[in-house]
Amino acid sequence: MYWKPEIEILPQPQLHVLQAQRLQDTLGRAANSPFYGEQFRRHGIGPEIIKSVDDIRRLPFTTKEDLRNNFPYGFLTVPKQGAVRLHCSSGTTGNPTVIFHDNHDLSSWADLVARSLYCAGLRDTDVFQNICGYGLFTGGLGFQYGAERLGALVIPAAAGNTRRQIKLMQDFGTTAVHTIPSYLFRLHSAFKEMGLDPRKDTSLKLFVIGAEPHTDEQRRRIEELFGVRAFNSYGLSEMNGPGVAFECEYQNGLHVWEDAFLTEIIDPDTLQPVPDGEEGELVFTTLDRHAMPLLRYRTRDLTRFLSGDCPCGRTHRRLDRISGRTDDMFIIKGCNVFPMQIEKVLMRYTEVSTDYLIELETVDGNDEITVKVELQKEWFTGNIEALEKLSRRIAHEVRDEILVSPNVRLVEPGSLPKTEGKAVRVIDSRIP
Amino acid sequence: MIAHQVSIFLENKPGRLEKVTAVLKATGINIRAMTLSTSSSGWGILNLLVDHPDTACQKLSQAGHPAVLREIVVVSMQDRAGALHDMLGLLAQAGLNIQNAYGTVLGDNKEAILIIDVENAEHVQKIFESAGVQTLPAEDVYRI
Repeated sequence: MYWKPEIEILPQPQLHVLQAQRLQDTLGRAANSPFYGEQFRRHGIGPEIIKSVDDIRRLPFTTKEDLRNNFPYGFLTVPKQGAVRLHCSSGTTGNPTVIFHDNHDLSSWADLVARSLYCAGLRDTDVFQNICGYGLFTGGLGFQYGAERLGALVIPAAAGNTRRQIKLMQDFGTTAVHTIPSYLFRLHSAFKEMGLDPRKDTSLKLFVIGAEPHTDEQRRRIEELFGVRAFNSYGLSEMNGPGVAFECEYQNGLHVWEDAFLTEIIDPDTLQPVPDGEEGELVFTTLDRHAMPLLRYRTRDLTRFLSGDCPCGRTHRRLDRISGRTDDMFIIKGCNVFPMQIEKVLMRYTEVSTDYLIELETVDGNDEITVKVELQKEWFTGNIEALEKLSRRIAHEVRDEILVSPNVRLVEPGSLPKTEGKAVRVIDSRIP
Repeated sequence: MIAHQVSIFLENKPGRLEKVTAVLKATGINIRAMTLSTSSSGWGILNLLVDHPDTACQKLSQAGHPAVLREIVVVSMQDRAGALHDMLGLLAQAGLNIQNAYGTVLGDNKEAILIIDVENAEHVQKIFESAGVQTLPAEDVYRI
């Protein structure tokens, strides 16, 4: 049932005791880093101020800016020689953010990922194909070590070369795949082009999807296309990577591993905790990381806690699917828009693919929003009226959703720019 | 046998049409006639009358283009004033809407043909036949 029952079904009051202990230890270690050492001295902070988990609120927040400004070693609690691995963001503007791990951290991370995968149903009898970038991106090595720890046979397939991915699946009888959701649609087209039906011609039974915002509709469509259950994975490189929160067999939200991550949800404006069940910004404090602990790290991800106990018996609270980020929201004609809202509308149309691009431009002094979406090859009949009607219907529904009328432009399949890892969804070239 | 044209979805962007003609050139497809209908929202449909529509459609599809075969009716017209008008009159009487139509003049400049894209090609063909208008069978169309 559980990978680590003594932790996974620990009642909340006891979990709080464990969290308070670990928080104290974490503060003790954090004080050794140049950044926190200086901050603690300035604010008179030390492990002794933590009597219970609620005392977390006495600590300042840490932001991505802090990580950038103290690049590369400002958060290290150990001499550089003590760290054994780093992962860093792909940022091309300014300093990237870098996270260091020592051997304890890597082992603890692998165990969290193993726990997550076990929670979704992966077992040591499975063949796990990890279709994502290895290297600096945490999804590759993170899932690799986690699935190995669990005992599955892991194929480090990495990203790309769709036909080869399919061949690997067939040669080794892959039962489980981790990848980003948008790739699964491409994979499915490749199956079709090869005259194969993944429902019949593979042994697939489990998908782990994450690293890219997606809707529940998208997940259901993936499940239908492949006849496979797909589980939502949540993580971020600042919190190791994958293995922060994961769905269990009930697919009703993501259990956040509270023994490893002290989790808060705050109002991003007032910085105060939101009432339970309300949406806000996720804030994490690492509770089991030695080389580079982070305290009250602001993720910019928006979500809420789901109430009630999960039938799976795990006591770790559940997070709702990430609804957006505090920073992918854009404002057009006075309306706040999340790309996810537009994606939700597009998901209702089988005539178009899930790749889309939102372009914001200034035309004759007016801000305009254009949604580019790829026409699915098989829906084309040569009828110009049908296509015009389709664009109009989509435009109308998007307008209902975001309150701004978009231009909807159908484009040729495969013509939208694809990016490795996370897809770029919004291009803003407006004149401010 | 009903004749077919190849209809291709295209973005209205520099170089897109050329991508299509490149595929046709590489496959040795000969274009007899063409039209391009564009919508106001940045895309269009290219209609091609070619010598081997099946092959053309298949190759274009393999190259990633949304391409389909659409039924057409091809009529040969006498080169005289009013010929087109008389023929369209037949369709109007029958209440049939033309999605697209384009014409081309044959090699000897004596005869013109009209290619008509309508929803029910077979029905239209019958209307023409009963009115004594000559329609071209598919094999003749591809051999033009």
